[in-house]
Parts: sequence; structure tokens; C-alpha cells
Amino acid sequence: MKATTLHGIPLVDASVDVSATFGDAARVLSGSRLSGLAVLDAGRVVGLFTDEELLLALSPRYLDELRHTAFLETELPSLRGQATRVRAEPVREHMRKPVTIELEAGSLHAAERFVHSDEGALPVVDDDDRFVGMLSRTQFAHALLKRLADD
Amino acid sequence: MEVVAVVVFLVALGAIAFDWAHRTKIALLGAAAVVLVGVLEEEQAIEAVDWSTLGLLVGMMVIVGLTERTGVFTYLALRVAQLSRGRPMRLVFLLSGVTGVMSAFLDNLTAILLVVPITLLLADLLRISPIPLVLVEVLASNIGGTATLIGDPPNIMIGTARPELSFIDFIVNLAPVAIVTLLVVTAGLALAFRSQLRIAPERALEVDKLDAAADMREAPYVKRSLAVLLGTIVGFFLHAPLHIEPAVVALTGATVMLLVAADNVEEALERVEWATIFFFIGLFVMVGALEEQGVIDRVAEGFADLTGGDRTAEALVILWGSALGSAVVDNIPFTAAMIPVVESLQADEFDDAAWWALALGACFGGNATLIAAAANVAASGVLDRTGHTISFVRFLLVGLPVTAVSLVIATAYLLIFQL
Repeated sequence: MKATTLHGIPLVDASVDVSATFGDAARVLSGSRLSGLAVLDAGRVVGLFTDEELLLALSPRYLDELRHTAFLETELPSLRGQATRVRAEPVREHMRKPVTIELEAGSLHAAERFVHSDEGALPVVDDDDRFVGMLSRTQFAHALLKRLADD
Repeated sequence: MEVVAVVVFLVALGAIAFDWAHRTKIALLGAAAVVLVGVLEEEQAIEAVDWSTLGLLVGMMVIVGLTERTGVFTYLALRVAQLSRGRPMRLVFLLSGVTGVMSAFLDNLTAILLVVPITLLLADLLRISPIPLVLVEVLASNIGGTATLIGDPPNIMIGTARPELSFIDFIVNLAPVAIVTLLVVTAGLALAFRSQLRIAPERALEVDKLDAAADMREAPYVKRSLAVLLGTIVGFFLHAPLHIEPAVVALTGATVMLLVAADNVEEALERVEWATIFFFIGLFVMVGALEEQGVIDRVAEGFADLTGGDRTAEALVILWGSALGSAVVDNIPFTAAMIPVVESLQADEFDDAAWWALALGACFGGNATLIAAAANVAASGVLDRTGHTISFVRFLLVGLPVTAVSLVIATAYLLIFQL
């Protein structure tokens, strides 16, 4: 039986296969209400697709190169074209290196992973390195608070 | 041993030109090789490093890096775009001018990394291709950098190697020819690219909407940073009468900047491009090995035989030879090797014309190919990452004629005013 919780916190089954397109990943992400989802190859996590990838892909590509940006208050003509172009691109071109949380490890391990990765949601994997579900940082932090209050 | 020094240097040059690994790794490997094999003693290796060049580079990196944070250069680039009011010729000349001036007084790599992304935004707003504008800027940065002692790495190396040549000497002898060349080249490029730069009037209004000063209002220490930058430039103008080396001016400026405009020293020192500094160190050691083994003197002798010791022939061969050498390899290692050659040629008497020829050749030669100068490589990197790839050949088709025209102007200048 596949575990769907970690320390009593529900995990979200938000993932796409590595063969998916950017459009597929964006759809799953917006349905998941998480900040990121796992990209899987044969059940193993090979990447992370987050809302930052979404923002970067939907913005002009020079945005990342600009040293200063406070002057930018205008709508850009390239935005719609950019969105159409990027939709069919493979998600593997828009993912980042994943950081994972081990299912069997304690909550300090999960806390460390969130603090050092700065991600809003991380994939949880089992002993076999297979994807179990996404853990939201917000939910994890709230669960820790609740546990402290209960103690 | 002599053969080892030559082989290490040539293999390193080839490896840099063909981009086999990061140039810093190659230079450090070459330096380690000549010391390990015993071509150069450890003490000699340390003596071979021109610490003044490194001091000047580090000082300027701190000053420029911390001033850049204030958004003032972004402001300048956006303001000139707004001043062009959607007229393509005006836009080309203003962008070329602002890049040229920034390159002369900051350094051309910083100028390019700052101006190119803004140009991509402007081209997007104006619905034109950014490539012609970026090409103009890259070429302008190498020409503008020629104008001062601190503008371009070859000039920094020449200026620190020859204390007889002051900051003002560089300006007096190089700025006029750089300005004329910049105007001629920009006019030529503006004409060549005019069909690609048609701007619809309503698009120009979009550029006007940008709030150019927004970043400066948010940034900390704007006035202090600018005051230190301007103070440092004034210091450069005064370094000769005050008998202070340019490196000391830059490092003093950097120290004042750290004192008055940086809250966190570690963060401020991250502005130093250590990879570049270590590249220079490796390079100086490899060139030191060539000098120690007498290779440089022999090249100089061959050179003197070729020109028959004639002053005019010597300067012109240095000019065109340096341009060719810089075009094929990176202009930094080429200049590092040429400086001792010119020194050796001038064992009897100092002649500044040969140094101006080297500076003009190495800096202008930086425009010939995509790999000839650091600014070109950086601009092509930004273009690549933003989906506007520019090929080696496309750059060559513009860079080569620009370099040829620049060298013809430089030749005329040397013949009329220096020789």
C-alpha cells in the first residue's frame, strides 16, 4: 500500500512524466495548488517544475539578464507570442535539479531540506527512490506548529 | 626548456581560441606546468606576475560593481533610448556613444553586460531585431575602451607595464583617434543596418513610458557611490603629477567605496571577477617563462630584422600584427606577450608611438572576431541565453570590415601625428 502521508501530513500526487510538454506541466501545476511538482522518469524524480519556471518561461528571456528591473512597468508585446511558443516545448527543458525528502527520515530532515533548498514544495521518495507525493512547505510548517501546540 | 615554454604558451593560446576549457583553467594549468617542469623557479613565477595590473583590475571591479548596483548606468542607457524618440539613426548613435563612453571609463565588459540586456528589452518594445543594435554596442565598446588607460584590458596592461605613460597620455594620444573611429564605424553600421531598424512611431511611445530613474530611487548609497567613482576618475587624471600609480588610485577608490557605500564587505568583494584575476596570473607566469628562456628577446630580434629597425615600419607592423594576433587569439594573452617584445625592442630609448600602436592594434583587433575580446564573448553569451544566437560568421562579416576601417584610421593617425 502506497503511503500518502508524511508525519501525518497529506502528500499531493502532483507530477508529470518527463515526456510531457510545458503546457501539460503548467496545467497540472495550476490544478495542484502547490508551488512545484515532480518530473518523473519511470517513477523516479528527475526534475522539479515550479512556478518560477512558469514565470521565467512566460516572461521575455532577457528578464533574467537585466541587472535592474524597477523601471519595468509596461506590458510587453512579446508576452503572448512567448506563451504560445513555450507551450509545446518539452518540460525537460524547463525543469530544475530536484531536491527530495526521504519518506523514512525524521521531520528535522524535511525541515533542513526546505530551509536549504528554498522550495515551496518538495517531492517525497521511498527507499527505492520512487516518487510518493509532493509535500508543501506551508502544510509542513503548520503541522509542526500544531504538533508543538498539542505537546 | 625554451621549447617547453614556447609549446606551453602556444598550446594554451590554441586551447583558449578553440574554447577547450575555461580560459582561467587553461592559463593556470600552463602556469603550473612551467613551474613544475622547472622552466621558471617559484620566486621567478611570483616576480613575473604584474601585481599593479591585478590591483588596478580588482580596484575597478569593486568601484564599478558597487556603482552599478545604484542603477545609474541603467538610467543612462534608458534615457538615451528615450532621447532617440524612435528615430533609428539617432538610437544607433546614442547607444553607440553611451556604450563607448561607459567602456572608456568603466570597462568594456561591464558596459556590455549592462547595455545588452536593456537593448533586448528596447528592441522588444520597439519591435525590431536586437542583433544590429547589439553588434553596434559590442564594436563601440571595444573602440571606446581604446580611449583610456582603464578602458580595455590591453590598455590596463600597457599602462601598468610602462609607468612613463600616464592616464592623460592615454587620453591625449588615443581618445581622439578612438572618437573619430567610433563616429565613422557607427555611421557605417547605421547605414548598413537601416532597413532592419524601422520603428513604428507608436512603439517609440512605449519606450517613453519606462521610468528610467526608478532603480536609482530604490538603490542605497547612490550619491556616495557616484562621488567615489567620479573621485577615482579625477584621481586617474592627477596620478602622474601626484606621482601615484593608477593601481593605487583604483585601490584607494575601492577602499573608500567599501568604507562609505558597502554594508557587507563579503558581498561587495563578490563583485571582483576572480576568474579573470586568476586568468591574468596564469598568463603572466607563462609569459614570464618565455622571457626567462630568452624567447621574447629572440622574437624581438626577428622583429627588428623584419622592419630593419625603421621606426615607422616597426610601429605599423606592431599595429597590424597586434590586430591580427588579437583577432585570432584573445587580445589579453596576445598583449601580455607583446609587451615584453616591445620593451625589448626599445632597450636603447623609449618611444611612445610603438605603445600606442600596440594599444590601437590589440583593442581594435578585438572587434575582428567573436572570440577576439571578452566583451564579444559576453555579448554572444547573453544573446544565446535569450534566444538570439549570433554565429561566428555573422559576427565576422561585420567585425572584419569594421576592424579594417579602424586600422586604416589608426594607420593614418600614427603616420600623421606620431611617426
